[in-house]
Amino acid sequence: MVFEQEQEEVAPGAVHGHRLSTVVPSSVTGEVDYALADADLAFKLHYLRGVYYYPPGEVARGLATKVLKDPMFPWLDDYFPVAGRVRRAEQEAAGGEGDAGAPRRPYIKCNDCGVRIVEAKCDRDMDEWLRDDAPDRLRQLCYDKVLGPELFFSPLLYVQITNFKCGGLALGFSWAHLIGDVPSAVTCFNKWAQILSGKKPEDTVLTPLNKPVQGQSPAGVTAPRSVKQVGPIEDHWLVSAGRDMACYSFHVSDAVLKKLQQQQKGRHDAAAGTFELVSALAWQTVAKIRGGDVDTVTVVRTGAAARSGKSLANEMTVGYVASAGSSPAKTDVAELAALLAKNVVDETAAVAAFQGDVLVYGGANLTLMDMEQVNVYALEIKGLRPVHVEYGMDGVGEEGAVLVQPDADGRGRLVTAVLPRDEIDSLRAALGTALQVA
Amino acid sequence: MGSSAAHQLKQLKPLYQHVVNNFVAVLAAPLAVAAVVNAARVGPDELIGRLQALRAVHVFLAVFVAAAAATLYVMLRPRSVYLVDYACFRTRPNCRVPFATFLEHAKLVTFVEGASIDERSVRFMTRLLERSGLGEETCLPPAHHYIPPYRNMEASRAEVELVIFSAIDDLLAKTGISPNAIDVLVVNCSLFAPIPSFTDMIIHRYGMRPDIRNVHLSGMGCSAGLISVGLAKNFLQVAPKGAHALVVSTETITPNYYVGKERAMLLPNCLFRIGGAAVLLSTSRARARFRLARVVRTLTGAQDSAYRCVFQEEDGEGHRGINLSKDLMTIAGDALKANITAIGPLVLPASEQLLFALSFIARRVLNRHVKPYLPDFRTAFEHFCIHAGGRAVIDELQRSLGLSDQDVEASRMALHRFGNTSSSSVWYELAYIEAKGRMRRGDRVWMIGFGSGFKCNSAAWECIAPACTAEGPWAESISRYPVDIPEVLKH
Repeated sequence: MVFEQEQEEVAPGAVHGHRLSTVVPSSVTGEVDYALADADLAFKLHYLRGVYYYPPGEVARGLATKVLKDPMFPWLDDYFPVAGRVRRAEQEAAGGEGDAGAPRRPYIKCNDCGVRIVEAKCDRDMDEWLRDDAPDRLRQLCYDKVLGPELFFSPLLYVQITNFKCGGLALGFSWAHLIGDVPSAVTCFNKWAQILSGKKPEDTVLTPLNKPVQGQSPAGVTAPRSVKQVGPIEDHWLVSAGRDMACYSFHVSDAVLKKLQQQQKGRHDAAAGTFELVSALAWQTVAKIRGGDVDTVTVVRTGAAARSGKSLANEMTVGYVASAGSSPAKTDVAELAALLAKNVVDETAAVAAFQGDVLVYGGANLTLMDMEQVNVYALEIKGLRPVHVEYGMDGVGEEGAVLVQPDADGRGRLVTAVLPRDEIDSLRAALGTALQVA
Repeated sequence: MGSSAAHQLKQLKPLYQHVVNNFVAVLAAPLAVAAVVNAARVGPDELIGRLQALRAVHVFLAVFVAAAAATLYVMLRPRSVYLVDYACFRTRPNCRVPFATFLEHAKLVTFVEGASIDERSVRFMTRLLERSGLGEETCLPPAHHYIPPYRNMEASRAEVELVIFSAIDDLLAKTGISPNAIDVLVVNCSLFAPIPSFTDMIIHRYGMRPDIRNVHLSGMGCSAGLISVGLAKNFLQVAPKGAHALVVSTETITPNYYVGKERAMLLPNCLFRIGGAAVLLSTSRARARFRLARVVRTLTGAQDSAYRCVFQEEDGEGHRGINLSKDLMTIAGDALKANITAIGPLVLPASEQLLFALSFIARRVLNRHVKPYLPDFRTAFEHFCIHAGGRAVIDELQRSLGLSDQDVEASRMALHRFGNTSSSSVWYELAYIEAKGRMRRGDRVWMIGFGSGFKCNSAAWECIAPACTAEGPWAESISRYPVDIPEVLKH
């Protein structure tokens, strides 16, 4: 179906013609509520933005919107909490310890309201778009809405389908971190692609159910060092940073990785893996452009062993690392990497138990996120593999965040930095030297 | 009168019904006995003597006159019309619209340029939906899943093609008939009448014969399905013997999403859902499943209030919608009474008609306080398919006709599962009854449709063969029905 309603003035090369529709689960879920764990609520102010680029060609041409949408209906039968909406629990009986003014605990009402689909176009070629390397191009390809101000009517997931002039396709996922972490999100999207390709995906595990209130630390305790307390947050779940944040992706090639690994060969504690090396490089670069003052970093990692097997959960470990005395801008990458490997202070439980609203990414410190184990390139649509995938985040605090992802061939790494917009240019310049294979 | 007297009357009722309904037999039996007794008394010889005395001419004339009368009667009687089979549009899960989605979309449309719908309207629609009797599985056309919905011609045509082509494909598969064996094509769709018409669309798609008689009925309201059946029946009287007529009933929802804030015009948004049915009629009894006994059409449009009852117009801000007046129920009740008065004498057994006539006379002559006798239509029909116009309509009809909950179950459940699909709703209800396995050979079905005008149309069918497969719009959901529909749906 081609529905043209062109009335807006379009900036040349911008993404335009947005058309919104909704996809719901194919069968009735019934009156089911999905309880949110404490860990889920800790991440409620963050939003994953992931873009998958598919090259032009026969397969992409055959991907009409209907073809992409139809498998979503049975997909949402399995992932029905994603199609629900946030509600707040009924007021508990007065006389409890909680102050009357405290907001009631949110949960997901699985009312089949659905997932929002956005169809858009861009009058440029996809190659050109990628080559341009424009900062914050993610924001154009992922519908940048958050939960709120109308919390009851805010979808938890937006899927944007952008068609480029050359026939290439970009799929942009905007996922509320509340409902699951990056591995949960990517597994969820991969299952959709499997249904699209006619394969039967693995079962979705949504049990055991989250217990509504787990061990809460007493009120009045200060927030753990990894995170920053904010709020109190009412119904608009976004802390607007004072400065405009933008996402910028850059590639750390195989050669650069080898060089970094060489550099740490001489050390007695050569235990750092690629994540530590790459994020240490990013830490050092950011410290340089900020002129020092990035002494502590928050580290968020996916420990594959620690996962419970539930399909929707926030199970990433949160901790912090303090640089030992010297400024990171002047420290060797290898040394920073060693710190990241050994000296992480784990605060996962404390963050979950903390009662107030917190910003995990970019709140208290620059946040380094490990996405290496996440199989983003598995989102194959009818056998077509994405040529490029980048994941950024919205709702990041001013300290910024760095996400380390696998790249297309698996040997290098793709890094997305979420920083204040005015730092992006400095970052690019600084990276120019840092990423040289000497 | 004491209750024991009333109780005795109740027990006498079946006896009374037997006597009056078989009046001719009741009268003829003693006469026959008397004749036989008389003949026996007279003696066989005497009888033969009397027979021989009859003149040949008289005998010949008697036989000839009787034969001629019988032949004339057979030739002048209208041809019987049969229903070979029918198929309803099977809704797809990718058209499903749960409550929450419908309301969220309505809310988002309030932010759209050019739409006047506001917060109050959304709250009103919420209350309507909660009490409407609709379930969470009703479906809207794909164009209505967009925010704001597409209402252009291309989207409308896409919906029409989706609905009627799939219904006709199902029907052709079920009956095994080829498209160029169809002699008559009647389509009804009130609210969308493009050029070329739906009949041209169908003829084009299926390659039908160039001499097919085709008509598209537009603007005839929700009872148009039965009007189309009546029209096809008339066509078949003059078509060659054994001709086939395809009747397609549908309503196109796409162009009719109302974006204003008049309350009386918001109701159709909440109730109307996508649906359609294709029906094959024939004058040949081969492989027929039902016989069409009667089609009775009544129209009350001569009165102002009935004429303006369901009125398509533009509201104060220029948004087009269908205005439902507040006295819809009263007018529907009056139209129903008119229809019952017309169809009653044609279908009710003599016992009920006699009682009704006596009660009528009693009211006129004796005392105005004598309650009018409500004929028991369950003596005339085993199944009732009442147009699922809305919960209030079904409740009102149940009350007016004195029907039980089981009688109107098909209507309530069709409303819950499919919403108000306009002219095709009676076919979804028939499909429900058959899916539940309640249809038997010889059962009689009464289809009642209501629509703008204000019209009330009825069709009476008699079952020849019940459905032999479970295929149909209810195939996946029938095991979950009947459901208990709450007064107010929580959501």
